[in-house]
Amino acid sequence: MKENARIVNTLKERQPYIARKQSMEEGIIPLSCDNNSLAGAMSQRACVYSGARVVLNPVTDAVHLVHGPLGCATYTWDIRGAKSSGVETNRNSFTTDMKEIDVVFGGEKKLTMAIDELVELYRPPVVFVYSTCIVGIIGDDLKSVCKTASEKHKIPVIPVQSEGFKGNKSDGYKAACDALKQLIDPGANERRNKVESSTKEEKAEKKPKINILGDFNVAGDVWLVKPLFEKMGIEVIVSMTGDSTAESISRAAEADLNLVQCSGSMTYLAKWMKEEYSIPFIKASFFGIDDISLALRSTAEYFGCEKMEKKAEKILEEETRRIMPEISRIRQRVKGKKAAIYMGGAAKALTLIKGFAELGMEVVIIGTQTGKKEDYEQISYSVRDGTVIVDDANPLELAELLIKQGADLMVAGVKERFIAYKLGVAFCDFNHDRVVEFEGFDGFVNFAREVDASINSPVWKAVRQRTLEPAGEKPAYAEKHLPQILKRSEQLETMKTTEQGMSRKPEMLRKTSLQAAQDSGVESPV
Amino acid sequence: MTRRNYATVNPCVMCQPMGSALAFKGIENTIVLYHGSQGCSTYMRLHLAHHFREPVDIGSSALSERGAVYGGRENLKKGLRNVINRYSPKVIGVATTCLAETIGDDVPAIIREFKEEEGIGDDPEKDIIIVPVSTPSYGESHVNGYIKAVNAVVRKFTEKPEDEDKTEGMEEKSPGMKEAPEMKKATNGKINLIPVESLSPADVRELKEILAEMVGDYIFLPDISETFDAPLKEDLPKIASGGTSLSDIADMPNSRASLSLGVVSKNLAVEYLEACHGVPGHNVPIPIGLSNTDRFFTELVHSLGCPIPEKYQKERGRLLDSMVDVHKYLYGVKAAVYGDPDTVFSLVTFMLELGMEPVLVATGSKSRDFEERIRLLFGEIRPELVPTVLDDIDFDTLNDMVKKCKPEILIGNSNGRYIAKAEDIPLVRVGLPIHDRVGAQRILTVGYRGAMELLDRLTNTMLEARDTFTAPLQAHHAKKTASEPGKEQISEGIL
Repeated sequence: MKENARIVNTLKERQPYIARKQSMEEGIIPLSCDNNSLAGAMSQRACVYSGARVVLNPVTDAVHLVHGPLGCATYTWDIRGAKSSGVETNRNSFTTDMKEIDVVFGGEKKLTMAIDELVELYRPPVVFVYSTCIVGIIGDDLKSVCKTASEKHKIPVIPVQSEGFKGNKSDGYKAACDALKQLIDPGANERRNKVESSTKEEKAEKKPKINILGDFNVAGDVWLVKPLFEKMGIEVIVSMTGDSTAESISRAAEADLNLVQCSGSMTYLAKWMKEEYSIPFIKASFFGIDDISLALRSTAEYFGCEKMEKKAEKILEEETRRIMPEISRIRQRVKGKKAAIYMGGAAKALTLIKGFAELGMEVVIIGTQTGKKEDYEQISYSVRDGTVIVDDANPLELAELLIKQGADLMVAGVKERFIAYKLGVAFCDFNHDRVVEFEGFDGFVNFAREVDASINSPVWKAVRQRTLEPAGEKPAYAEKHLPQILKRSEQLETMKTTEQGMSRKPEMLRKTSLQAAQDSGVESPV
Repeated sequence: MTRRNYATVNPCVMCQPMGSALAFKGIENTIVLYHGSQGCSTYMRLHLAHHFREPVDIGSSALSERGAVYGGRENLKKGLRNVINRYSPKVIGVATTCLAETIGDDVPAIIREFKEEEGIGDDPEKDIIIVPVSTPSYGESHVNGYIKAVNAVVRKFTEKPEDEDKTEGMEEKSPGMKEAPEMKKATNGKINLIPVESLSPADVRELKEILAEMVGDYIFLPDISETFDAPLKEDLPKIASGGTSLSDIADMPNSRASLSLGVVSKNLAVEYLEACHGVPGHNVPIPIGLSNTDRFFTELVHSLGCPIPEKYQKERGRLLDSMVDVHKYLYGVKAAVYGDPDTVFSLVTFMLELGMEPVLVATGSKSRDFEERIRLLFGEIRPELVPTVLDDIDFDTLNDMVKKCKPEILIGNSNGRYIAKAEDIPLVRVGLPIHDRVGAQRILTVGYRGAMELLDRLTNTMLEARDTFTAPLQAHHAKKTASEPGKEQISEGIL
């Protein structure tokens, strides 16, 4: 990885996570990924809990109860920008607000009472109970509390095993899928099988059914996608989890096919549904003309119905004709510009490459927080030579890359926004914060318009300057310590110990620092 | 809704580590590192970026399952090493999270060990200074985290080396434990100014300007006026420039007095400077509104013996002028105020001065003295009013109380927007977070100018609201040519 050292100046341990696509390598590049973040590296990732929360939070009528101190709930209150067509229980932030006493003596009782209260107040069809870091340490038995509450209230009370430290964001996605599994009613599958074994006439009358997995209805995306399928004569049972309800999720096993958009979070669930209910899945994206076309065509192809295929073609032709003048107009204004992509998951990153190509733009940096090896392989096939690919990037790396790669626009989330702005680079939010739909045909027009507005705003004429802090001048204290610290980092790297023998029981740790703090009688300043 | 005892619905506070970041970010060349799992730092960076619209880098020791079981010593050291390697900070503020506290990591000891291993000493000129502070989320709110972090910084830079072993630690020891030295003669002629709650960058700038005009020389800690509101420049420094300089912090014991902004929460740093360094401490409310700003200036005049510059006398005059201009629009307007305890205290003072009726006064922080302080305030200014005063609330409780108290206007951070929408009451945004509107970093509330800006926002909001819902009424009256106009009716003509 010698060449990588020159791509960007970063920690030695981070170098394997950054690579440049070279023409010699025929697509596949060596890139490390799918590991826990490095301490002190300022990863843009969040934790296991956050992964679970972002996937489940769009379930509109659920009570999402965070069992832990209130911080975890505070910062994730209404975080997703996921729209609901009905109730909006999910836009509240519920927490057990654990205090020191709960940490010392356990929080099970408080959790039980909190569930009782919330069920009485909100009458939800389902309660998701998220565990946080300290719940994992003090050893509250979430499963048994939830089981008891389920029996008492006659609704599913589902534990989400999302202790922040037990892995990374991807593990949270999995925890969320495990929770969703429990909501899916096996009976629905039996109804579907019944139809399958029925007569030809009955079958012909039966509308094909699909689920969309991994669309979170941010800014109302799903509402621009569903009608496309409905026009093709397909019923969309549920979008997981955007604008979903406990009831619609429970019917998911009635589907004939799953379309998986956010593959990072939902492939796990799709695979499970395939095994459990023999529902096949195909990957799809509803962003950009190319990918929407692909999604509609492959769905029609799956059902093997000529009528449906014709409908799909008709929709595609009409819709493309409708939006093309605007897309072409914008293409003229943005073509040749260079884009940087930094996304949570790989699916969005991949579809964005195509989207930018449709606008005549070139991708010069692409990275994700949680991409897997296969994802990066696919990414490296899809981008041009010279594009830098990065896993689990941090602000300093991103800043340096934006400048070195000469990006004109960055597409990412809020934390990256201000890095771009400070460097005079245009920015477009493709995360929780956007307020307009980007999916579907009209969504792509919205995206194109935003790209145009971001790049061609006259404000950049006043501010477009881009340099990083002048290198070389290290302050005295840095001169003194840095060589030693660098040396030591290397030494430690070579002495890496193996992870074995976790013998210490977490429960044993419960009464350590806390009691010490209590004994010393720390006084509150307020 | 029924009263809840166990579940919190829509929290009205943030957690302790957030407060520590708000404090550490106001110190020159400082990086914050959370000892805990990766999510804490990311969520708080997100929250702060939303509010200040600036890049916010906060490191994490990224504890994994292994770290949680065996202790986070190696992760913390590695985090420190990597942060030093990449950012070359002068100071690293290490705040603990729930996880680090619960597994029982002795952070000061780990840091001592790290310093020994790396040969890092305690000379701020030559060495990287690492300041630990204990801030588990289950302990207290962000307000406490802020106070603790400021105190930890002051102690770190002002403690004499021989005291260090005794006092370096995560817990704040009561300053009274030490024998108070005699009030000594000031040596640097400066004034220390330390707020108990995070003010907006615009507020800090305003206060610094006042101090510069009045005192010439002052030490404001922590100073987020640049770090959280950085000008767009040609280059992007790794750590935002600005913040209180380390030499200034070390010089605080030599100042002639410390001024604590805030009277509800205890200002640990000011108390420490008085008890251990003999710097007389004075508490004044955060200078929001007429009388609070008067008190602030009076305190400066007393401490310094200098007159109030003409500029501020004129500003005061303009504030009075504008208070007279709008008194009818705000008189008797029922209001609900929520936020951090001292900000709420000062806002309420101003509202009472304007003749408004703060019927609902609340803070999400748990505070022993909040209710008493607020009641005393009402007793002084409007003894006939009996407000609902609550601490340790969540927004759902606030919503219930809003339904009961029926305020006409809400004053507080953006998270009140759900109530504002549900109850159809206008919201004037003050505090943190404000992420659904631009300009949070520029919201000015302190000083006479801040009072005027707030006054204008309050008045215009009421005018806007009444315009919309009295319009049909006016039409109704016009039709019937009914004589008696309602008390609250204000037509544009009066303006």
